[in-house]
Amino acid sequence: MSLADDLTREYAPSEPQHQLMVERRRLPRRVWVGAAIVFVYILVAVFAPLLAPYDPLALDPLHALEDPSWAHPIGTDELGRDVLSRLIFAARVDLLVGFLGALLPAIVGTALGAIGAYRGGWRDALTMRTADVVQAFPTYILIIALVFALGQGLTSILVAFTIIAWVAYARLIRSEILRLRGLDYVEAARAAGLPTRRILWLHVFPNAVGQTLVYLPSDIVIATLGLAALSFLGLGVRPPTPEWGAMIAAGQPFIRDQWWLSTVPGVVVVGFGLGLSLIGEGIEEWTRR
Amino acid sequence: MGRFRFVLKRLALTVPLLLGVVLLVFLILEITPGDPARQIVGLRASEEKLQEVRDSLGLSDPVLTQYVRYVGNVARGDLGYSYKSGRSVASLIAERLPVTIWLLGFGLVFALSISVPLGILSALRHDRAADHVVRAFGLIGLTMPSFWVGIILILLVALPTGLFPVGGFGETVPEHIRSIILPALTLAIAIVPIQIRSLRASTIAVLGSDYITTARSMGIPPSRLMRRFVLRNAAPPTIAIVALDVGFLLFGAVVIETTFALPGIGQGLVLAARGRDIPAIQGYTLLFAVMVVAVYLLADILTAIADPRVEIES
Repeated sequence: MSLADDLTREYAPSEPQHQLMVERRRLPRRVWVGAAIVFVYILVAVFAPLLAPYDPLALDPLHALEDPSWAHPIGTDELGRDVLSRLIFAARVDLLVGFLGALLPAIVGTALGAIGAYRGGWRDALTMRTADVVQAFPTYILIIALVFALGQGLTSILVAFTIIAWVAYARLIRSEILRLRGLDYVEAARAAGLPTRRILWLHVFPNAVGQTLVYLPSDIVIATLGLAALSFLGLGVRPPTPEWGAMIAAGQPFIRDQWWLSTVPGVVVVGFGLGLSLIGEGIEEWTRR
Repeated sequence: MGRFRFVLKRLALTVPLLLGVVLLVFLILEITPGDPARQIVGLRASEEKLQEVRDSLGLSDPVLTQYVRYVGNVARGDLGYSYKSGRSVASLIAERLPVTIWLLGFGLVFALSISVPLGILSALRHDRAADHVVRAFGLIGLTMPSFWVGIILILLVALPTGLFPVGGFGETVPEHIRSIILPALTLAIAIVPIQIRSLRASTIAVLGSDYITTARSMGIPPSRLMRRFVLRNAAPPTIAIVALDVGFLLFGAVVIETTFALPGIGQGLVLAARGRDIPAIQGYTLLFAVMVVAVYLLADILTAIADPRVEIES
C-alpha cells in the first residue's frame, strides 16, 4: 500500500465536490507560503546556469573537500566540485522527476480508472486485478526491481513510477465516478435525455477529477523523495549528474569532518517537500471545510 | 457470514494474488536485457559452454513452461542460485532475514511508543496549541528522507557519544542491540508522522461518537472513559494502520539498512541490484511482496476476530 493511497483513504471527503465548487472561499494562507517556497525552487531549477557560480561537473582534485569559504559557500566535494553549484543544478533533475513522477501516474491512472468505471466488464476487472497485484508489493521495492530491469536512468525511473503509482489514481477516480453516477444531478441529466457519454465526460468526470488534484502536491513530494532514495541507494540517477539523494550518499563517508556535504542537501530536500506539503494540506483543508 | 468462512474465503483470495505476484517477479527476469547464461559463464566462454548453461537453466524452453516451472520451484522454496556467490537464494535470505526482523521489531516498538501518546494527545487537544505542534512536526517528518535522518543521528548521536556504532550489526546479542538502536530510531521517525495522522483521526472519530457522549452524560469519570471506551475502540483501527504501512516500513528498512550497513534483506536487495544478480533480486522482491500479503491477511483476520461486523467485499 503506497503512502498516496493511505492519504487517499484518510482524506476522502464525504460531501459532493460540485457543492464545494459553487461557493468561493479564500485559500488558507499556508497555501500561498508553500507556493512561494515551491516557486523559488522552480526559479532556481530554470535559471540554474545563471545562478550557479561554477560548472557543477568541473573537477578540481587539488581543491577537494575544502571547507566553506567565500569562493565555495558550501565547500567542495571529494572531487573538488563546487557543492553549491551541484545543489542548484540538482534541482533540475529532482523537480523534473518529482513533477513528472506525480503527473504521469495521475494521467495514466485516471484514464484507466475512468475507462474501467465507464465501460465496466472485463476492462474494469482487468484494471482492478492488476491493481491488486501491484499493490501487493511495497511500492519502492517494486520500483527498484523495475528500474533494474528497464536499465538505470531517468526514463526508466519515470516509467517505473508510472507502472506502479497509477493504481491509487485509478481507484480514486473509479470510486468517485461510481459515487457521482448515483447523484441527483446525473439522474436529472439522464432524465433530460443527454447521451451517457456526454453525461460522463461533461458532468461526471470534471467533478471526479477535482479530488485527484488535491493529492498531486503530496505525490510530488513522494516522487521527489523516491528519486532521492533510489539515487542514495546507487540505483537512481547515474553519476556525475548532480542529484540531492546521491549527494547525501556521496557525503556520508566524510560525515566526521565535512558534515555539511550530507546534511545541506537534506535540508534542501526538506524545504521543497515542506513547501509542497503546505500547499497540499491547505488545499485539502479548503476543500473539506 | 461466519467468521470461519470469512477466514477461509480470505485465504482463498490470497492464492490468485500470490500467483499474480510471482508472475510479476518472473516477468522482471523476462524484460531484463542481457543473457543470464552469458553473465554466468563470462565473456570468453565458448558457444557450446554457453548453450549448456542455457539448457541447464531451462532458458531455451518456452516462456510459459519457464513460468510454470518457476511457480513450482517457488512453491517448494527453491528460489534459484545467486549469480554472484553461487549460493542458494533461500540460504542468503535465511541468513539476512533475522537482521531485518530485529530492525522492524525495534522500529515498531519505538514508533508506537512515540505515536500512540502523541496521536491521543493531538486528538484530545484537537485544534489547540499541542495539536498544532504535533501536526507541524508531522508535516516536517513526512518530508525528511530517512537516510538523511540516519546520517544526522550518526553525526549528532553516534559520533559524539561513541555509544553506538556507525554501521554493522556486530557478533553478540549486546552488540546487536547497540547496533540496532539508531537504525530502529530512524525507522520510527519515518513512520511516526503517518501513524500519528491516522491515530489522531480515528481517536477524534471515537471521541465524537454517540456512545461517548452518552457515557459522558452518565457521569463516567474521564480517566475511566478514556481507558474503557475511547482507547478500546480506537485500538482496532490501529492494528489496520500498522498493517497498511507495512510496505512503507519495508522500504524504510531497505534504505536504513543501506545507511547503517546492516546485513539484512533490504541491503541484500540493494547489493543484488547493484551487482545485477537477477535470481537474488527476484528472491528478495518476492519475499517482500509475500511479507506484505501475509501482513494484510493477518490484519484482516485479526480485525474480523476483533469485530464481528466485518464482512468480506464481493
